[in-house]
Amino acid sequence: MSEAAIAHRGRIDRAGSWRLVLARELADLWLGGKALVLLTLFSILLGVTAYLMATNNELRLIPIKEIAYLMLKLTVAFGIFMSLIIGADSISGERERGTLEGLLLTPTSRRQIVIGKFLAALSPWPPAFVIAIPLIAVLCRDSQVVSWALLWGGILGTILVVGVTGLAMLVSFWSSSNRTSIAVSLIIYLVFLLPTQFPGQAQTGAFGDLLQKWNPLEASNVFLAKVIVNNRSVEEMASWLLAPILFAVLTLGLLFLYASPGLRLEPGRARTRANWGRAASFAAIAWLPITLALSFAMTLPTAAATSSESPVQIAVDREWATARTGDEVEFTTLVTNAGSETSPPLIVAMNIINLQGEVVDPEDWSPQRTQSIEPLAAGASIEHTWTIDAILKGDYMVYMVVVPQPAGPESTSVPVASSGIHLTVTPFTRINPRGVLPLAVGIPLGLTASTALLRWRRRRAIAAGEGEA
Amino acid sequence: MISENDAAARRASDPVTQEPILEAEHLKKSYGGRPALRDLSFTLAPGRILGFLGPNGAGKTTSIRILTTILEPDEGHFAIAGISSRYPERIRARIGVLPESQGYPKEMTGIDYLVYFGQHYGWTSSEARQIGWALLEVVGLQHRARSLIGSYSRGMRQRLGIARALVNDPAVVFLDEPTLGLDPRGQQELLALIRRIARERGAAVILCSHLLSEIESVCDDVVILSVGQVVARGSVTEVIGQARGNGVRIQVPLSAVAEAEQVLEALPDVIRVVPKGQGSGWIQVELLDGAPEDNTANNAVLEALIQAKIPILTFEAEGSRLQEVFLQLTEEAIR
Repeated sequence: MSEAAIAHRGRIDRAGSWRLVLARELADLWLGGKALVLLTLFSILLGVTAYLMATNNELRLIPIKEIAYLMLKLTVAFGIFMSLIIGADSISGERERGTLEGLLLTPTSRRQIVIGKFLAALSPWPPAFVIAIPLIAVLCRDSQVVSWALLWGGILGTILVVGVTGLAMLVSFWSSSNRTSIAVSLIIYLVFLLPTQFPGQAQTGAFGDLLQKWNPLEASNVFLAKVIVNNRSVEEMASWLLAPILFAVLTLGLLFLYASPGLRLEPGRARTRANWGRAASFAAIAWLPITLALSFAMTLPTAAATSSESPVQIAVDREWATARTGDEVEFTTLVTNAGSETSPPLIVAMNIINLQGEVVDPEDWSPQRTQSIEPLAAGASIEHTWTIDAILKGDYMVYMVVVPQPAGPESTSVPVASSGIHLTVTPFTRINPRGVLPLAVGIPLGLTASTALLRWRRRRAIAAGEGEA
Repeated sequence: MISENDAAARRASDPVTQEPILEAEHLKKSYGGRPALRDLSFTLAPGRILGFLGPNGAGKTTSIRILTTILEPDEGHFAIAGISSRYPERIRARIGVLPESQGYPKEMTGIDYLVYFGQHYGWTSSEARQIGWALLEVVGLQHRARSLIGSYSRGMRQRLGIARALVNDPAVVFLDEPTLGLDPRGQQELLALIRRIARERGAAVILCSHLLSEIESVCDDVVILSVGQVVARGSVTEVIGQARGNGVRIQVPLSAVAEAEQVLEALPDVIRVVPKGQGSGWIQVELLDGAPEDNTANNAVLEALIQAKIPILTFEAEGSRLQEVFLQLTEEAIR
């Protein structure tokens, strides 16, 4: 051995040692089950969300583009969460488990160790994004938006995951315990999320711009929303990319140029008291899902309720209709000018009333609730077709109103209402809305089975090892 | 198994003639103004085992961490195998370390663990595997090579840690409390292993331990630290010789205690005779201070008892045990 030892001492490949650390960390993360457990949780969350979105889309509550955006937003948020947890554990966790010293005692440079750990901490992001692709593709299959949304979701998600991993590893670098490291990382993440929870006014004007544009997480969300949902061009929104890119560059610079060469057994800074760490950890863990849920709920479409003498008459072609939730109900209106003069321009509007007194949001019930009519000659009639989406079970009255345009600012007109259509909606649940169910169930099941298989193999290996003893 | 005679014989027969493999000069380290290590200087020759002793907080761990490049000294310098402490990565390639609170990845097998660390030292995967198997055999773990470390006992993990410390064929091996938490058999096996490492591989070994009997039985040289400074340094025999020996302890049959007291009190060099431990047969004899290495008074005590035909069950000269030297020196330093 000594001859070989003398030979090998001259060829220690320090430049490539990060690959050893990466391979070891990947094995630990994936074969140890941690990454698979996190991905399984993500796939369940994404599957449930995809199913609910598909159901809502069947009821036409959410436009396809918005579904793509919301699914990507959730994917990126979970990607960030995973890298935060893994990055925060990467150094302080090894300190705590006593395995860092062994690594620091090898000739491998500190920077090589940090590079290997950093790349391993990024590893759950690509599979998480791959899990989201079929779900988004199936949910948005009739839309041109899929590839565009996936492209920008992938780019921004990667930038954010890189930045957040760097940040979490920096925190881990300066932490003596895992608990402190994860708590501090989650608190920093919550600080980034906080401006999105401010009242609407606080998010407008120069201050609002500052809050959103220079917050890497919020700037990324605004960019994705505008580019995917609002058809804004990338050039127009390019300035919103600045914060996430700067964030990633800054954290990487700090991690690899400043911190990593000085990696040592003790944390770089004074220790956080254990009780503070425990309290902060609890607060952060309790508040994170709440904030995520609030943030998600606030992005769901909201709507405002709306609802006005003349020879003009309006009639509908049916008196009643029954439908199941998710069905479409069609009817036509006939507007007739029974007077002897040409009418002013007319507006026909749809209104829906719940007969049990529950609030109805008409926007959810029909994509087109008003139609305009040019001045109608005496004795002339015009027919329009209307569509109602029966989105909620219940007893409703649908009626139409024709409103003549007033002659000027100091005059009014008398709206005329049609007879009502009594609409009864019975409940109906689709088991497989937009065909998303097999994916929403299959992916989490597959991942759960893989995790269980790994655990079973590990238990068997330990049992076999003990048997040999 | 190692007997004290073995260790003593080796100490006597292995004079330090070789060039030192480790030279430490005036190493100092403070934490926030509180000195942890005041001035540490010593040398160590290849194949020698150096015991590093000291009460808690004496600076042992700080010393080991400085010498293994985990910490930087505030002042001072050291060299290992001719490599200056200014090149910590090169030094790390020439040392093997078993830290006191070493953690192990539970999901790895013993052989994979050694292969992983072997590769960090520049071995290819197949070379590292070959070395790993050889080392597992050295530490007696070859039959558990493919078991997960999570299924290893504490003793097995310690042996695996020692195998890892040898994976780069180091010039100096640092073992910090290697027998901590092991049963007596495990301790004996590990000490025999440490001895083999020094003898067969020619590696210098620095052994940190709280078990003084362990240090005495296996080490050639010893450094005793107290409150951050060296209070004794040299071969084990030399350090034991620094203790004040002014008495003996004798154990005789219970029926002969009174007679033995009578005989001993009559001797000119005896100051006082005190029976110890009621019903144990132990007698403490205080003697006049003599010159160092002068055993005349001790011999006179033995001769008197033999002539009086009193059976001697045990005879111990005070100050002849490392434990007594350690207690004396560290107490003095604290005062």
